[in-house]
Amino acid sequence: MLRSSQPLTGPNRKRCHEDEQLLGTALGEGQHGFVIDTRSAQAAKQARMTGGGTEPKSSYPQWRRLHRPLERGRPLQESFAKLVEACNDPAASMDRWLGRLESCRWLSHVKAALSTACLAAQCMDREEASVLVHGAEGTDTTLLVTALAQVILDPSCRTLLGFQGLLEREWIEAGHPFHLRCARSAYSHARLKQEAPLFLLFLDCVWQLGRQFPFSLEFNERLLLTLFDNAYASAYGTFLCNNEKERCLCKVKESTLSLWGWLNQPAERKKYLNPLYSPNALVIWPSVEPQSIQLWQGLFFRWIRSSQYLDEAWAEIQRLVDSS
Amino acid sequence: MEFAELIKTPRADNVVLHRPFYLAVEGTLCLTGHHLIFSSRRQDNAEELWLLHSNIDSIEKRFVGSLGTIIIKCKDLRVIQLDIPGMEECLNIASSIEALSTLDSVTLMYPFFYRPMFEIVEDGWRSFLPDQEFELLSSVTDEWRMSCINKEYSVCPSYPSVVIVPKSIDDEALRKVAMFRHGNRFPVLSYYHKKNGMVMMRSSQPLTGTNGRRCKEDEKLINATLRPGKRGYIIDTRSLNVAQQARAKGGGFEQEAHYPQWRRIHKCIERFNILQESLIKLVEACNDQSHNMDRWLSKLEASNWLTHIKEILTAACLAAQCIDRASVLVHGTEGTDSTLQVTSLAQIILDPRCRTIRGFESLVVREWLQAGHPFQQRCAQSAYSNGKQKWEAPVFLLFLDCVWQILRQFPCSFEFNEQFLIMLFEHAYASQFGTFLGNNENDRSKLKLPQKTMSLWSWVNRTEELTKFQNPLYEANSLVIWPSVAPQSLQLWEGVFLRWNRPSKFLDEAHEEMINIIKYNKELQAKVNALRRQLAEMETDDRMQENL
Repeated sequence: MLRSSQPLTGPNRKRCHEDEQLLGTALGEGQHGFVIDTRSAQAAKQARMTGGGTEPKSSYPQWRRLHRPLERGRPLQESFAKLVEACNDPAASMDRWLGRLESCRWLSHVKAALSTACLAAQCMDREEASVLVHGAEGTDTTLLVTALAQVILDPSCRTLLGFQGLLEREWIEAGHPFHLRCARSAYSHARLKQEAPLFLLFLDCVWQLGRQFPFSLEFNERLLLTLFDNAYASAYGTFLCNNEKERCLCKVKESTLSLWGWLNQPAERKKYLNPLYSPNALVIWPSVEPQSIQLWQGLFFRWIRSSQYLDEAWAEIQRLVDSS
Repeated sequence: MEFAELIKTPRADNVVLHRPFYLAVEGTLCLTGHHLIFSSRRQDNAEELWLLHSNIDSIEKRFVGSLGTIIIKCKDLRVIQLDIPGMEECLNIASSIEALSTLDSVTLMYPFFYRPMFEIVEDGWRSFLPDQEFELLSSVTDEWRMSCINKEYSVCPSYPSVVIVPKSIDDEALRKVAMFRHGNRFPVLSYYHKKNGMVMMRSSQPLTGTNGRRCKEDEKLINATLRPGKRGYIIDTRSLNVAQQARAKGGGFEQEAHYPQWRRIHKCIERFNILQESLIKLVEACNDQSHNMDRWLSKLEASNWLTHIKEILTAACLAAQCIDRASVLVHGTEGTDSTLQVTSLAQIILDPRCRTIRGFESLVVREWLQAGHPFQQRCAQSAYSNGKQKWEAPVFLLFLDCVWQILRQFPCSFEFNEQFLIMLFEHAYASQFGTFLGNNENDRSKLKLPQKTMSLWSWVNRTEELTKFQNPLYEANSLVIWPSVAPQSLQLWEGVFLRWNRPSKFLDEAHEEMINIIKYNKELQAKVNALRRQLAEMETDDRMQENL
C-alpha cells in the first residue's frame, strides 16, 4: 500500500514519467493496481482547475481508480460539534436525540472511513493487488485509510507497541498536521481555521474494531481515550507541530518527553491492556452495516454519564484476569 | 381432528436450508404435528433444525422455474429459507406449514404433547405459589391477608384464585369493589417495601362514568394502605386527556373529592395496540439492507421503540420514587398491560431479591402470569405476521427490554444475564412448556395446564441449565438501583433485534472466555483456601510437637 497526495495534472494534463515509473515498481508483471481516491469523482475533476487532479487512465493504464469520498475539514468539525451538543442534552426526548444523532452524521463518517479502509484491505488481501491511497493533500483522509487498513490486515499493529508504531509512522511522521487540526475542539466559539477531528475519527474506528473483535486488540478503550486527550492537549511532545520538519526546527525531540516513554512504563502500561487479548494472525473484517456501528459512549458520554458501575465491572474483570 | 389431516406432504428430500450464520446445507425436511424438522447427514457432522410450528409468524412462497422456495419468518425474529425441488411438493409443504402454524385451539399446542427428556427435580408449577409469597410477607407485617374470594374465578376472571388484600377489608366489601373496577380488577397488593412499610397496589380504572359514581368500599380499601398523616400517590398510565375521555365510556379516574388523601399523577404509556406497530417498524428497520446510516437512524427513530422504553422506565422510576415516601396505586385502563410493566419494573429497581434468578422468576409469575397479563392474546403473532392483528402487542418484550437496559447500566447487580431474558422472550411466543399458555390463572386451571403440561421453571432451574443464564459479574448488593432514562443511556437491544443480522460469534466467545476465567479464578481460590488450612494444621502440629 502506497500513499501520496494528488498528482498535479492540472487543466493541461501534465505528465511525470518518473511518477509513473515509481508506481510501476509496485506492480508485478501484468498485475493491476488500485488507486483509492478519497474525494468524489466530481471533486477530483474540479481539482484540475486549481492545478490538481487525478491519475489519467492513459498514463497509468495498469491502475484502476476508485473514488470513495470521505468528509474532511470544516464539515467534519461541524459534525463533531453537533454530536457533542446532542450528547450534552440528556433532557431531550428520544425522538430529538435520535434525530440529532442522525443529522450530525458522525456515524455516517465512521461507516465511510471503515468501508474505505476495508476496501483498501480487500484489494490487497483478496485481489492481491497493490493500492495507492490519496486525497487532495494526502495528510488527512489518506492517513485515516492507510492506518485503519493496517489495523485490519496486520496483527502486529494490534499489539500495544505495534499500534504506537503505526501512529508514529502513519500519523506523526507521515505529517498529519496535528497542530492545526487539534488547535480547537468541539466547544470552541473561535473562528475555526484548519481544525478537523480526523485523528478522533480514526480512534473511533479503532474502537469499533475493538468492539466487534474483543479478543484481537492488545490495548483497551482507555488507551484510545488517552491518545485523544493527548492529541489536543498534552504534557508530552509527541503530538506537537505539524510535521517532522517543524519538530526539528523546534527541537521537539531534545526539549520534550515522549508520550510513549511514559505509556510504556510497566506500571502505566498495564492500565491500557485488554484482559481478553489473545494474539491471532487473522485479518479482522469489520461489519460496516449501520446497525453494527455504535456511538463511542466511552468518549462522547465520558463526562455526562457516570460510568461508575461499568468501571467497577471492568475493574473486577481486570482483577480476575490478573489473579488467575 | 388429527394432525395428519393437515399434513399434505410429511417429507421432502433434497431440500436446501439457508439460515443465518451457517452455510446452506442440503437434507431432508419432515413435518410433524408440532415441528418442522430438517436433517442433514453431511460428512461428519449431522446438522439438525427443529422448529416449532407455533414459532412461525408467516411464510412466503416463491417459484423460479420448478424450484420452489419457502421463506419462513419466525416469532423469535429468525428468518430461514427452504429450497424445495418440485412445485407441487413445495405448494403442499407450504400449505401444510400454513395450516399447522395457524391452529387456534390451545389444547392442540405442543406443551400438551411434550414429554421431557430430563429428570424433574422440582415441579415449576408449584415453585411460586401465592402461599409462599404471603409467608414471606407476613413475617414482616401483619396488616394484610389472603382472600380466597376468587377461588372459582367468579369475582374477577382475570385474577388468580388467591389475592392479598388489607386485613381491614372483608370479602363482602371486596365484591362491591370488584363491581366498581374495569374487568373486576380491584386493587390488590403488588409489592411491600420493607424499608418503610409503604406498599404498591395495582388495579384497573375505576368505573366512575359520566355521573361520577363512587364506591365507599373502594375508597376504604386503598385508604387502608395509607400511613397516618401521609398522602398516597395514584399513578395513572394514561394521559389526563385520555383518562377524562374514558368517562364517556363508563370508565374514569379517582376524583379528588372522593379520594382527598391521594395525589394523582399521569404518566402516559402508549396503549398496547400502538406497540405492535412500533415492533413491526423496528424489525423492518433492522432488516433493512440498504447500508445507509441516515436511513437506519431515521427508521429507528420513526419506529418509536426506544421512546416507549423511555416512557416505561420513567414511569417505573416515578413509582419507585413515590414508594420511598408513601403508598402507591398503579392503574391504566384494563390494568393488564402498562400497569404490570410499571409495577414489575419498580420492584426491580427497589428490591434486590427481584434481581436474583429465583426472585425474578417469582416476579414474572406474580406480576405477569398470575396477575393476568393476556399472554395468549398478546403473543399470538409477532413482528413478521401477515395476519390481521387484534390483541397482539409486545408488552412483555418491552418489559424484558427495560430490564436489559437496567442490567446494562448495572452489570454487577443481576444474578442472571442477557441470555436469560432472551430465553423468556422466546418462550413467551412459542414454547414446549405450558407456562405462558392461556391468558390468566382461570384459563390455566380450566385447561389443567399444571397437570397436562410441563412448567418452564422445571427446566430452567436445573443446575445444568442455570449455568448458562448466570451473570459472572454478579455481586449481591442491597442497593436501590436508579437507571438513567436519558435518551443517550438507552440502547437498542442488539441481542434480540440484531441477533440474526450479525454474527455474535466473537461476542459469545468473549463471554465464554470471561466465564472460564471466573471459573478458573474460583478453582484457584478454593486451592488457596485448602492450602491455607493445610498450613494452619501443620503449624498447630508443629507447635504441639514442640510442647511435647
